[in-house]
Amino acid sequence: MTLPVLSVDGYTLDYAVRDGFTRALDDVSLTIAGGEVLGLVGESGSGKTSLAWAIMRHLPASARESGRIALGELALTGATEAIVRDVRGKRIGMVFQDPSTSLNPTLPLGRQIAEVLVTHRGLAPAEAWREGEALLAKVGIRAPAAMMRRYPHEASGGEKQRVVIATAFACQPELILFDEPTTALDVMTARAILDLFATLQAETHVASLWISHDLAVVASVAQRVAVIHRGRIVESAAAHDVFAAPRADYTRQLLAAVPSPQRRLAGAAPEGEASPLLAVEHIHVRYGRRSLLDALLRRPADSVQGNRDVSLVLRRGEILGIVGESGSGKSTLARALTGLNPFTGRIRFGDLAIDAARAMGRDYRRDVQIVFQHPDSSLNPRQRVREILSRPLRLYGRSEGRPETETIAALLEQVRLPASFADRFPHQLSGGEKQRVAIARAFASQPKLVICDEITSSLDVSVQAAVVALLVELQRAHGTSVLFITHDLNLVRQIAHRIVVMLKGEVVETLDVAGLPGSARHDYTRALLAAVPQIVSSAADDEVASLR
Amino acid sequence: MADLFRRLRGSPQGLLGLILVGVMLLIVVVGPWVAPFDPETFAPLQRYKGPSGAHWLGTDQYGRDILSRLLVGARATVLMAMLASLLGTLAGALLGTTSAYLGGRADEAIMRTIDAVLSIPSLLMALLIVTLLGKSAGNALLAIAIAFTPGMARVTRSVALAVRKQEYVAAAIARGESARYIVWREMLPNVVAPIVVEMTIRVAFAVMLFATLSFLGLGAQPPKPEWGLMVSESRRFMHLSPWMIVWPSLAIATVAIGFNLLGDGLRDALNPRTS
Repeated sequence: MTLPVLSVDGYTLDYAVRDGFTRALDDVSLTIAGGEVLGLVGESGSGKTSLAWAIMRHLPASARESGRIALGELALTGATEAIVRDVRGKRIGMVFQDPSTSLNPTLPLGRQIAEVLVTHRGLAPAEAWREGEALLAKVGIRAPAAMMRRYPHEASGGEKQRVVIATAFACQPELILFDEPTTALDVMTARAILDLFATLQAETHVASLWISHDLAVVASVAQRVAVIHRGRIVESAAAHDVFAAPRADYTRQLLAAVPSPQRRLAGAAPEGEASPLLAVEHIHVRYGRRSLLDALLRRPADSVQGNRDVSLVLRRGEILGIVGESGSGKSTLARALTGLNPFTGRIRFGDLAIDAARAMGRDYRRDVQIVFQHPDSSLNPRQRVREILSRPLRLYGRSEGRPETETIAALLEQVRLPASFADRFPHQLSGGEKQRVAIARAFASQPKLVICDEITSSLDVSVQAAVVALLVELQRAHGTSVLFITHDLNLVRQIAHRIVVMLKGEVVETLDVAGLPGSARHDYTRALLAAVPQIVSSAADDEVASLR
Repeated sequence: MADLFRRLRGSPQGLLGLILVGVMLLIVVVGPWVAPFDPETFAPLQRYKGPSGAHWLGTDQYGRDILSRLLVGARATVLMAMLASLLGTLAGALLGTTSAYLGGRADEAIMRTIDAVLSIPSLLMALLIVTLLGKSAGNALLAIAIAFTPGMARVTRSVALAVRKQEYVAAAIARGESARYIVWREMLPNVVAPIVVEMTIRVAFAVMLFATLSFLGLGAQPPKPEWGLMVSESRRFMHLSPWMIVWPSLAIATVAIGFNLLGDGLRDALNPRTS
């Protein structure tokens, strides 16, 4: 039997904290054979990134470890700094989550690839440059010679990630660690990167550890999957077995939480001719202000178009999804609708017709509420939950004669949080709890429309599932209309009645969810649908059935 | 709060600053009661004495006990400096936060005006104000507060700009909150940490500015035992008794160093990333 490329044996990692130790990894054992891709799946804080750094031998001074990590025959635990330096980059490559921070912004991309080749493969600079161009061509960059001379800010996110991957493959390492390499990318770009990886993997037979929180991505790249939960490997088996017949309870919960279009959460769409609540008519948003100097010199303003001629209709009691990649103008529209961006065009809301952000009166402000993406920044860190929730009540007098404390307790109850949370500060809550408080705040003024701007994208899958279920329940109970903005097509197909697809600031098309995927007309929508990774799993559906 | 003190004591600058400022504040509170002599009583037979058992720090040109004058004068010097920095900080913080909140043309107008005022050195600015208002300790306080305002506004605005981009401010605007509520309740509490640090360092400057103004005869008036005034008066008698100028100068330096160290310590203690 041949030796595995990477073997981790009973590896335990603790970090020293103020009072004692906190366990990051607990008795982790795994192996990766030559040419194999092992997917490591876990939620944030499960220790998956700690494991990658432990393999790279780059741990903070507070780390205490036991167990053994070996690359082939070489024991990495206990290896000297000189040996480790020789291994890094040359025998183990690494690809990080965010390509814009893993590349040095002050050096051209070519220099960064050539440097690796000069250091680890001993090539002469001119030779390294030529080899770099060849590598870029291999990772599918169309004009490699030009790309070599560009700086990171002159390349797109997908191109940068390709450069990072080229660098990782440059020295023909035995093992490459991928730490959430597609998480920071758009759906279509991520798809392209996954395809590229599959091609390179088949060509080079490099062993890979693919770390991700996204089960669907792992399902599409890995042959074997290990599921990690609170520093422990709870399940490790062939990918197909894990998704088709998960053994650990935790894996089953994870699979059940993954959004899937087959499992509808929302109720029936409002009756066909329900009156429209909101009609957006020919909205344009421009960023950038014409400066005094521009005006004096009669120059046109140097502005960026955020939304171009956007029109859409939202009916009473409907959940309308807005999907599109980053930069497609989804959030710009949300901010225009809440008066945070100046716009031209007209918003009709019930009987109101609004032509400018300034014209939004008290009634409109009360009836249209927004929930933001990052609960960390949408709740004021210096205010207690009580004060955060009391503001909309005081502004719009929705306590209805009850003492405020009672109303706040009822609001918290509504989002499944104990009343005692009123006295907490936001930093004493978890990400999911914070987002629940933000949702409670939005529903406090009993609005007719709630705009949700990517409210789950910073949450873990299982937390996301709970938050979305809660939102749908509140929507149904209050008959509120919801504008649900997301980049996650699977998720939006689960809860929305209709979907608006946006691209480069414009509306591409509006679809009924019921007819998808067949009803998609526009090429872009079809490409988007095709790019979304899916888990084909009967077990997950059984799990859901058993939950009901 | 208790956690902040623990972290402050953890760093050498913080600990030393805390001790120095603590001792100074103690003197401010109890100084007049523990002073062994009356600070303004003349004693013609005891003039120009060096340190001795009766007069620990010696006496001045009128035979007044220097230790007593320092102990009593702490209130006029340290307290006034702290009040002036507090006033200047409050005004500057409000101006900077408002400017960051308003943004656009209004921000431009406020900040360019402040830049213009900032180009005048603070001592010159204070001199100008005192000359216009008349010389008195109260006017000197006001002058220093006004001289500090533009600098504080600038520091605050840079922090407030980052806060302005936070979604809780957007949420408050979307909710229809008044500008006053957003500036006072949403933004100001979140810019407090860097302002407090800046303020402690400014106190040191204020002590020196006060001393300078008094030295020039524009702040406290004789026979007040103000430290800057003491340095100014004793300058003429330096060759007769060097102690007269050494002690008040040392006292001013200690306060300045104490507040500077405290500011450094606070900056580290308030920033979770460096702890």
